[in-house]
Formats: sequence, C-alpha cells, structure tokens
Amino acid sequence: MAGRTLWKGYLHFGDIDVPVKLHTAVKEERIHFNLLHKHDQVRLQQQMVCAFENVPVPREEQTKGFAVEDNKYILIDPTELEQTEPESSRMIEIHEFVKSEQINPIYFEKAYYLEPDTKAKGYSSLVEVLQELGVQGICTWTMRKRSYFGALHAAGKILRLQTLRYADEVIAVQSLGLEEFSLSEKELDIGGELINHLTAPFQPQKFINEHQQKLQNLIDQKARGEKVVLLRPKRRKATPPDNLLQVLEASLKKVA
Amino acid sequence: MPRGRSHADKSKPSADSRQDAPVHAIWSGTVSFSLVAIPVQLVKAVEPGRVSFRTLHRKDYSPLARRMFCPKEEVLVPPEEIIRGYEIGPDKYIVVTDEELESVSPERSRTIEISEFIDLREVDPIYFDHPYYLMPAKGGEKSYRLLVEIMARANKAGLAKFVLHEREYLVAIKSANGALALITLHYSDEILAAADITPKEAASNAQEKNRFNKSIEKMLTDFDPTHYADERREKILALLKKKTKEMTPVLAPEAEVEEGEGPADLIAALEESMRQVKKSR
Repeated sequence: MAGRTLWKGYLHFGDIDVPVKLHTAVKEERIHFNLLHKHDQVRLQQQMVCAFENVPVPREEQTKGFAVEDNKYILIDPTELEQTEPESSRMIEIHEFVKSEQINPIYFEKAYYLEPDTKAKGYSSLVEVLQELGVQGICTWTMRKRSYFGALHAAGKILRLQTLRYADEVIAVQSLGLEEFSLSEKELDIGGELINHLTAPFQPQKFINEHQQKLQNLIDQKARGEKVVLLRPKRRKATPPDNLLQVLEASLKKVA
Repeated sequence: MPRGRSHADKSKPSADSRQDAPVHAIWSGTVSFSLVAIPVQLVKAVEPGRVSFRTLHRKDYSPLARRMFCPKEEVLVPPEEIIRGYEIGPDKYIVVTDEELESVSPERSRTIEISEFIDLREVDPIYFDHPYYLMPAKGGEKSYRLLVEIMARANKAGLAKFVLHEREYLVAIKSANGALALITLHYSDEILAAADITPKEAASNAQEKNRFNKSIEKMLTDFDPTHYADERREKILALLKKKTKEMTPVLAPEAEVEEGEGPADLIAALEESMRQVKKSR
C-alpha cells in the first residue's frame, strides 16, 4: 500500500492543470541502533557544545552565523532566514519535457506516487501520453517551505514525481583527479566479451536483503547470552596490473 | 574540492560545519568481477547544497559543535567511549561491536562483487537511491580504468551487493565520465505497492491526449539540470551579501579545538557561489 497523502497540489503546463496528491513510494525497513555510553550503557543525547568553554549550550543561548573568515561571523537572525523561505504554492510547474533516457540516474533523489485528486481530469490521458512519447516533465514546486526540482513520469497507470538533485550538488568527476591509464585493445576486447557473458536482465526481485535477517539473528543470539563467533571480513588480493590480461583470459574461460 | 560531512561517520559526532577536506574515503575494499579484483575507495558524489551556517554561542560567538552527552553521569562522551546498542526494552540494550557487525556478512563487508551486468535503462528510476564514486586505491589504477572503459563501451552497469556499517546495499556500478559511480538501489520489497491509489479505469480520451501531445512536443528539449537553481539558496546568498556590506562581523575567541577553516574572504566566496548559481540559469 502506498504511504499516506503527504501534500496536495496540481500539475501545470501550457493551459493544462491536473490536481494530484503526493504519496511516499519507498519505505526502508532497517534495524536501528542507539548510541550508548560504554561504561554504563546509558543512551547518549546530542548536545551543542561551546568549543571555547567546552560546556553544553542551551537552545536559547544559540545563534547562527556565516563564517566570513577564521573566527569571524556575520550573525543571522532566524526571522531573517524565514524571509528567504519560498512562498507557499500548490503548483507543480512543468517547464519542459525531456526524453527519459537523457536523465543521468545520479540526479534521481526521492520518488513519490501521484494519486489523481478528486475530479482529476486529464490524469489518465497524461499517463498515456508521457509513456507513448517516452518523456519526463522537468518541474519545480514548493513543499513544506522548501523548493524542489523534479521529474514527472508515468509507470503503468500511475504518475510519479521524482525529486532531482541540483546540478551544483553533484561533484564533478574531474575533482577526483583520476589518472589516465593506457590499455591494450586485447585487454579491452576480452573485458568486453566477459561483460557480454555476464549480462542478465535486471530482475530486482532476485535480490533480497539477507543481511538484515542475519543481523537480527546476531542480536537474538546475544540476547540469549550465547557466544558469538567472530568471522574476519574477507579481503581479495588486487589483480596485479601486469597480470590483468591473463586474469581476464582465465575469467573468460570460466564463463564461456 | 568537495566539502562537507560524510554520510558514513554516524558513530562519530560531527562538528556543525562544512569543512575543507581532501576527498574523504567512506569505505575501502575491493570491487571484483569474475577473477579481477580492484582495490578501491568509496567517496561521495553529491553534496547537499545548503548554505551552511555555524551555530554560535550567543555569549562569546564561539562556534558550537555537536557532542554526545551522557545524561546519567552528566559528562561529554568522547568517540572512543561510544558504543552501539539495540533496544530490547526500556533502557535495556544489546551491545553490538564493529567487529561483530563486520562478522555478520564477512564475504561482503570488504568486497563489492559484481555478480552480473545489466542495461541500466532497464532499471526503473524508482530504484535509485544514493550515488557515490569509487576511486582506485594503490595498484588498482589499471584494472579500474579497464572496468570504466569496458562498461562504457558495452553500455552496461554492474550489479552487486555489499555491506557498509549495519546495512547491506544492492548497488549498480556504472561508468561516469571516466570514473566508476556506485549508486545504491532500493530492494524491491522497499517499493510500496500503488494499487490502492491507481485509477481503477483509464479514463483517457483521444481529444485530450491530442492536446497534451501538442503541448508536450512544443516543450520538448534536452535535459540540462544546470538550468535550475535552488531559489532559497539564492535568496540566502543575496541576504548574506547585503548583510556583509551593512555590518561588521563578530569575532569568536580562539578555541583550542581546530574547527575547520572558513572561506578566506566572504565577498569572494559569495561571488563564487553567485557565479555558480548564475551560470546555472
């Protein structure tokens, strides 16, 4: 079942408006740990501590500043910050449409389902047209005092809205300072062949989070006071660069 | 230079600031496919673009840092005295150590083993979660380059599972402008069913579709995310610029703890941010 309605608004482009309700599309279940103090196993609390006096500082003694240079701050009042909050609006404005395959997955952030709101005229037509054209609508909207950037697309009979990361939030590969390395055509060819042999259709159902259950078993075991046998993580030895071709050939032999 | 906090150091209390730092490895281990093993480091690929403010002490303008506090002993707790516990009842915890966590899936905690290659276009975007980059560690440069090249040529991405801290991730590893990007994927059972909110009957109509089609085709362009900027961030930067002209900054006392460096000159820093935002118009 989809999550509860988070927000209501309407899609807008050209002279078209489609009212929708936003629902969460993904829910992560995971085992949650608390941070404890080693000596007494008391659950720890987070506090803001003054770097100068090394004492916890209560909220009413806190203020915000923007660092101009070392130890120099421009003070900012919370009310001033409030003034920068975007004006609230119900419109999800579609600015342009792009071919779905053009969006680099690195930009995708969080997915929502869009349910047609009462009398949602045009909803199903939009679903079909987006699919037939293979496009997504690039849009912006304001929700809960934040401005969002996202992509509207259709899957099955439903519309989805996926938030996108802003371009300047994505770190450029150039900043990693990777070095070029020359490879022989033979290495590349055998590597390519290896990929072909190992290619399969994407079947997400095949992958189950086995770790979660194992972690629960560990906790249960410890709760019963049983001894836990520690296993060392396995590390694989790096393929020496000079042996790469032989290792690729051996790999190919294994799968071919 | 990437700035900001890592996503990984959950056990360590982090300072309330973004700091200039070299590329910080979140994890180190091996990426493997078939018999080839590549030593790598995992680093972040995105950085939330919020303008970052320091929380200051109103009294002396000293910057504040987030620290863990033991309410019973009423003391600040250093990182080496912090442990992880699973709650089994009120104030009752099962303590789990890092070694025990690594021991849960020993075969996956230091190896990202690509089990198969896929066409990334087959992946429904709802599965994409968080992107990272992999960087070659010493001795892995050549095989790293090979994997980048062959995946780019074949237009394929590798699928693998690996364990980071207490979670097991399903990940896609793809070639991205000469680097390996690792994108965590949601498990299929984390995707909520939408049957309850899907329209029962498709009430599409040909005339309407025709109208939508025309509108969309008129608005069809190439995807360029740099056309969009966070308006809130722009407003905050403008506010800061105005305030810098109007007021003198406050001076914090020299603290013994090194809390990271701020930009050397605000106007230059703002100018740079503005330029980047403008460029993205």
